[in-house]
Amino acid sequence: MNKPKIASDWICGCAGCHMSLLDMDERILKIVELADLRATPITDLKEPDESGVDVGILEGGVNNSANEEVAHKMRKRSKILVALGDCAVFGGVPAMRNLCGVEAALKRAYVEAESNEPGSQIPDDPELATMTQARAIHEVVPVDYNVPGCPPDADTIFYVLAELAQGRKPEIKDEYLHWH
Amino acid sequence: MLQITINGKQIEVPEGTTVLRAAEKAGINIPRLCDHKELTPYGGCRLCIVEVQGVRVPMASCTLPVSNGMVVNTETEALKKSRKFILSMLFSERNHFCPFCQVSGGDCELQNAAYHEEMTHWPIQPGWNNFVVDTSHPYFVLDNNRCILCRRCVRACAEMAGNFTLSVAERGAKSLVVADTDVPLGESTCIKCGSCVQVCPTGAIIDKTSAYQMHDKDLTEVKSICTGCSVGCSIKLMVRDNRIIRIEGGWHGSVNHGVLCEHGRYDPMNESRKRITTPLMKKDGKLEPVSWNEALKAVADQLRPLSGQKDGIAAIVSTKLPAETLTAFKDLFAHNEIVTTTEEGMPTASVTKFAEKQGSFEGKLDVLSNADTVLCIGVDAGRTHMVAGFMFKRNMPKGTRLINIDPEENELNDLANLYLKPKAGSDLALILGLQAVIVKEGLGRSPLALPDTDSLIQKAVEETGISRDQLTQTARVLANSITPVILFGKGITAQRDENLVEELYNLAVLVGAVDSERLGLLSLKGEANSLTATLLGLDQIFELNGHKAVFVALGDDYVSRSFVERVSKVSYLVVQASYESKLTAQADVVLPVTVWSEQEGHYINLDGRVQKTQKVFSAPENVRDNLAVLNELATRMNISLESNWKQAILARKSSVALN
Repeated sequence: MNKPKIASDWICGCAGCHMSLLDMDERILKIVELADLRATPITDLKEPDESGVDVGILEGGVNNSANEEVAHKMRKRSKILVALGDCAVFGGVPAMRNLCGVEAALKRAYVEAESNEPGSQIPDDPELATMTQARAIHEVVPVDYNVPGCPPDADTIFYVLAELAQGRKPEIKDEYLHWH
Repeated sequence: MLQITINGKQIEVPEGTTVLRAAEKAGINIPRLCDHKELTPYGGCRLCIVEVQGVRVPMASCTLPVSNGMVVNTETEALKKSRKFILSMLFSERNHFCPFCQVSGGDCELQNAAYHEEMTHWPIQPGWNNFVVDTSHPYFVLDNNRCILCRRCVRACAEMAGNFTLSVAERGAKSLVVADTDVPLGESTCIKCGSCVQVCPTGAIIDKTSAYQMHDKDLTEVKSICTGCSVGCSIKLMVRDNRIIRIEGGWHGSVNHGVLCEHGRYDPMNESRKRITTPLMKKDGKLEPVSWNEALKAVADQLRPLSGQKDGIAAIVSTKLPAETLTAFKDLFAHNEIVTTTEEGMPTASVTKFAEKQGSFEGKLDVLSNADTVLCIGVDAGRTHMVAGFMFKRNMPKGTRLINIDPEENELNDLANLYLKPKAGSDLALILGLQAVIVKEGLGRSPLALPDTDSLIQKAVEETGISRDQLTQTARVLANSITPVILFGKGITAQRDENLVEELYNLAVLVGAVDSERLGLLSLKGEANSLTATLLGLDQIFELNGHKAVFVALGDDYVSRSFVERVSKVSYLVVQASYESKLTAQADVVLPVTVWSEQEGHYINLDGRVQKTQKVFSAPENVRDNLAVLNELATRMNISLESNWKQAILARKSSVALN
């Protein structure tokens, strides 16, 4: 039997959840035994197989048009989609900008911030993605498993991946459930 | 008793019990957020819904009284679904992002409730309401973005502190907790008791000092007694690494039931005095560090020949020290003319003197909670002994009246229904005048023989400067009350006139404050162990005339400037103290001792409750226990300190029953 395929990507997050994934240390070899690790942001292959994967993992929320594209692609190519970490599940820290609005946040960052050169402006290259409200993944595409945590513990990630790789449904509760 | 079946478990509860409390009694946990056992049920969060057989919709169990034969279920699938939905709605209203919240990770009741329902995400995303964070208060932060509008803080402010500063403004999703008429909390009428912080279930009101220090699960809890004043509130110390992280009111406390005042909760956190960490001795006019042996030897050598001599040693002890220490101190200096306290019996001597004649005549603090009228005389319960003030302030919207009599400016005047400002020293005339009006108008509840009521009234008006109308009105309000209480303080007792206390007692009997069933007369005393000190006989005024040495056991207490002036003229001054002060600067020898939290001992509060403080911290290396220092000195002076404090306090009649 072929091993189930797993792919991951990060969008509007800080890469911390992937760091936590690496924190499972030698247990990652167990995952490799159980599953075929395909595209991830920290390996050479960057995009999930066009033919599809069994489990797709997304870290980070959806913050702009580029994020939306990644989210839709991952959803389309994954049988099971996992939202990993608080940004993916709730919107997380980037969602704080929703309280003031995109314009004010950009202005603060590119114009007003003390570290900017005088006369700095908000980048407006047409190739840049369009900013949107910061959202949780499940607001953009249907999510099968929400794994909250900032970041989720390595133990939690290992548990979730191991369960999914063996065709079981992980139960996110008790020691595996925290929101911070 | 009523029968109720909850989740198939049958129990009996008294009438008036809510379903939530009945479930607790049956050992069944119903999730809840706005409920708090010390606050009136509110029914705001709806998380405690239950299914009641025969009722169409789920009901909030916190406000639902049990009726006989009720059958209740708390854990059906439908309820679980509803609870999840209620939580989803709560999370959608405000900023409940956990990673950057101070209470996340165990101390947030909202988060814990979500974990309990196994919520992995918010089905409804937040609405991005944005509220201004109020950081204007010195001790806490009010962040409406984290608020779930449970109104625990509003209820605590009203029902615990009786201060009514907090309320909810606006409507619906825009509702927010505000101080007064929406002014910054730091500029409001807040009296900084911190009750709101203690009850807040989320991170909406957080304590500035302890914020982000550690989760409660990683702190050690120690139950003890506040030594800030004679009320004797129970406290819970949250401790880590030999230091206090936070002080909370002890919910277990029979005196305070969880509430504290600013002094109890925050003063120890803001201690700014410099600690003395080694014995000091004056050498060439300068205080120099010395060993304990050298210091104690010098003190013992100086005091030994003076002990028991006329004009020899004057010994003065702080009433903030435990009963064991006070007793040892009394024994150590028993043979000297002056053995007294820093308070010199001002808050207690006249009361104890009257008790010698009358026996115990004072009531318990609880009478304040049930009073329909409180007459405060010589008391500023807005400044000292504040928790005693809370006990009647909280009932004022329900109709409890406050009559404030004080020649000085008084914090509670604004609140009082009547306030009289008699001329200083006219209290006796005033009290007799009140008696006379009541007797003359036939309003008394028990007979009192007064020879000439008209001349007493006339005299009262002349001496106090209070109008006849106001005097009459005050007397009528007091006499027409059903459960009046007279609360008196230093303004009366410091006059050291037991006659004043006696006339107050007569007034109390006349208006029915004191009868065979109630003792509605109470004095506030002074510091934590004022009552113990007076029972030990340590309550005289001291006057130094040619005394050769003064020994002051101050502990962690403060001294007044006039006290320092009075004792510093003496040629040999020994100060046993924890902190540097103007007094220690004058001393010939300074003995560094433990503070309240580094020693254990007994305290008797103002209404006679014998309580024990706990040793929570180890003292700095070269600092010794107050009692141990006295014992060591006694050994070196060949004096035996064998008295048992429990026996020693029985030497005098107490004005209030001890228990």
